[in-house]
Amino acid sequence: MRIFEGALVLFSLISFGYFVALNAVYLTFTAIAWRGVTYYRRAREFSGAEEAFASPLTPPVSILLPAFNEEAGIVESVRSLLALRYPELEVIVVNDGSTDATLRRLTEAFDLVPVRKASRAGLPTALVQGSYASRKHHDLWVIDKENGGKADALNAGINAARYPYFCALDADAMLEPDALLRVAKPILDDPDLVVATGGIVRIANGCRIEHGQVVDVGLPRSPLATLQVVEYLRAFLVGRMGWSRAGALLIISGAFGLFQRSVVAAAGGYSTTTVGEDVELVVRLHRYLRERGEDYRIQFIPDPVAWTEVPEDIRSLSRQRRRWQRGLVEALWRHKRVTLNPRFGVFGLVAVPSFFLLEIAGPTIELVGYPAVIAGSALGYLSLTFLLAFAVLAVLVGAVLSVSALALEEFNFRRYQRGREAARLVVMALAENLGYRQLLTAWRVLGLVDVARRRRGWGEMRRRGLGYAPARGESRGR
Amino acid sequence: MIGGLAWVSGVLALLSFLLVCALAGRRVALAHAERRRLSTEERLRPLALALVEGESVELPRFGAYESRALARVLARYARQVSGTALAHIGGFFEDRGHIAREVAQLESRRAWRRASAAHALGGMASTSATPALLQALGDSDRDVAAAAARSLGHLGALDAVEPLVYALVDGRLPRAVSAQALLSIGPDAVPRLRGLLADAPVEVAAFAVDLIGLLGEASDSPQLVELLRDTSAEVRAHAARALGRLAAQDASDELRRALEDRIPFVRVNAAHALGAIRDAFAAPALARQARGDEFDPAEAAARALARVSPGVLVAVAAEPGSGPHLAQAVDLLHVQT
Repeated sequence: MRIFEGALVLFSLISFGYFVALNAVYLTFTAIAWRGVTYYRRAREFSGAEEAFASPLTPPVSILLPAFNEEAGIVESVRSLLALRYPELEVIVVNDGSTDATLRRLTEAFDLVPVRKASRAGLPTALVQGSYASRKHHDLWVIDKENGGKADALNAGINAARYPYFCALDADAMLEPDALLRVAKPILDDPDLVVATGGIVRIANGCRIEHGQVVDVGLPRSPLATLQVVEYLRAFLVGRMGWSRAGALLIISGAFGLFQRSVVAAAGGYSTTTVGEDVELVVRLHRYLRERGEDYRIQFIPDPVAWTEVPEDIRSLSRQRRRWQRGLVEALWRHKRVTLNPRFGVFGLVAVPSFFLLEIAGPTIELVGYPAVIAGSALGYLSLTFLLAFAVLAVLVGAVLSVSALALEEFNFRRYQRGREAARLVVMALAENLGYRQLLTAWRVLGLVDVARRRRGWGEMRRRGLGYAPARGESRGR
Repeated sequence: MIGGLAWVSGVLALLSFLLVCALAGRRVALAHAERRRLSTEERLRPLALALVEGESVELPRFGAYESRALARVLARYARQVSGTALAHIGGFFEDRGHIAREVAQLESRRAWRRASAAHALGGMASTSATPALLQALGDSDRDVAAAAARSLGHLGALDAVEPLVYALVDGRLPRAVSAQALLSIGPDAVPRLRGLLADAPVEVAAFAVDLIGLLGEASDSPQLVELLRDTSAEVRAHAARALGRLAAQDASDELRRALEDRIPFVRVNAAHALGAIRDAFAAPALARQARGDEFDPAEAAARALARVSPGVLVAVAAEPGSGPHLAQAVDLLHVQT
């Protein structure tokens, strides 16, 4: 019994330590993010992004759009990319062995004709079966290849890219017209230093979309999707901004990132053996560049927006989050040697250990912590009053963090213009710690189980489709 | 212990409440401020137009708010008009003391105030602000320097040419801002840029060459042709690109020679330039490069060949072992015609 009691007390201490560490990091990042975002917003007035649009010195960019069975939305996606405000770009759609009518839709919409496209032999990929150019848009290419996964498709795109920078996108992501210009701005300003930048991903569910563009920002009706709006705001505006300011940004979303092609190619391109190819690439770039002692910067920019659809049902969300956790673990484990190695600076000494502790070990500690403290209380080892006080404290800390992220959004970007929607976001921010957070924790632990069971594959996500707009008079929960 | 937790919880609850109140309050205040700004600017627009036209207007007595609103409207016009209208705007801002006030703000201890003042001066169309802005170019805060650079560009300040180039090369200014400011100054900047080519560090010379390519004219080419033999590959590459942009026909011989440069990106730029000049004599050399060079120079050569001599391109692409770049260029020729 003494051993059990000792274990329970020890675990309670670990849980308490984890709670303090986690929230200390988040609170610190919230403070850093406030400073960073506010500074960025002010600097934006003087940054000359508008001028860069007209400047002949702005470097051209290749946009890579991997597509697997995207017949429903691929034409609109490509149209919106061709309409981006950027001086010089090419769009390369990589049809990754789609079994639906993706290629046919593209051919019909853009009058594609077969061409013999020259590609670099740099990165190995599945067999490229053909290339197409458009008679209507001279900046549009389609590469048709055997299925090899998203990472493989991106590598094929890198091989075919003509320009020194490439922008990797999800096929269902919609960029705002000036998003590419804004995400490229740090590269325009410091081309010798900045090797990669990432923008913010926002949730398109509930928005009105016309011709591949969000024309009216709104909240989704689904509470599950609205909770994700709050979660995304916190993750991007606080988490990514914080790590970016610390010089150790480990994640640039696969939905929207800009990279220096030559550096990515030299580092080996995207890994095809992980579902977290976006995280793995950024971690590898840090490692690659630090091993060579090069000065570099990988940066998050808070206002270039890619809109994307998120799951509205529990099953799809569960699959997505388990996959994300699996990808994160695979990426970090592959580069575990950098952990606590002074040679890798903040990246190795702080960022990677923090991710191991807070993002990988953390969910398990938290999930086991719930029954453990309840058992401790039931068996009389922990005071019930203490337990309740601690639970209230935990919920309130979470609420402060979430509401701070909303305040950050409201004070700097104010995308949700309608008062009722802002009020709904506040309610969700206060409520997300009562159930949603615990669900996410459970899925992340299941993600770890998937890693242990060597589970592969992406799983499916049920989509309503981004073309969805509420009918006139239909309630959007506002 | 429990008392401590309760105390911290109370603080957090209060903090949450205050944050929510701040959100709601700010939303209401912003909506009110936006309505007021729009209505004031709308009311002042006819007056601003009359001032731009140079009409004799008796200005009513304004409070500080209206005065700033009128300044904002005029500053917007200052970016769109030139000549006499611009002089009227500059005169208005000087007479009303706006220039002096913003110049004084450049000494503020707060960086964002200095940056705002530097930014505002660019829209006020008065060259009397140039010396203060040149000083602000050396501000320790990068945003202040960037705002000053933009404003100097808007004012067409020739004295800013050398400081802008050096500030960019030293990393004190974002590249895009500095470049755009120089482009805004326009062709008048070219003599000063030419002056930077001799004895300047490689980065300065390379950047100056780039800008001459964008702002200059064909008569600037002899000096650039000489730079095709510079010891720095960066300068050679930028010179080749600039000559292409200037469509400098008399540089063809030297550009063809640059196709043999040992540095790939010099060969890339030389090929682009020959394509832009449409130098038919370069066709054999371009075909050779497109067939056997590294990826980027070969691709550039094939594209250039398509512009220089489509007939030669079709012929050499049909030869065995012509390579992927010539094949691609031929296919694109068919797609684009």
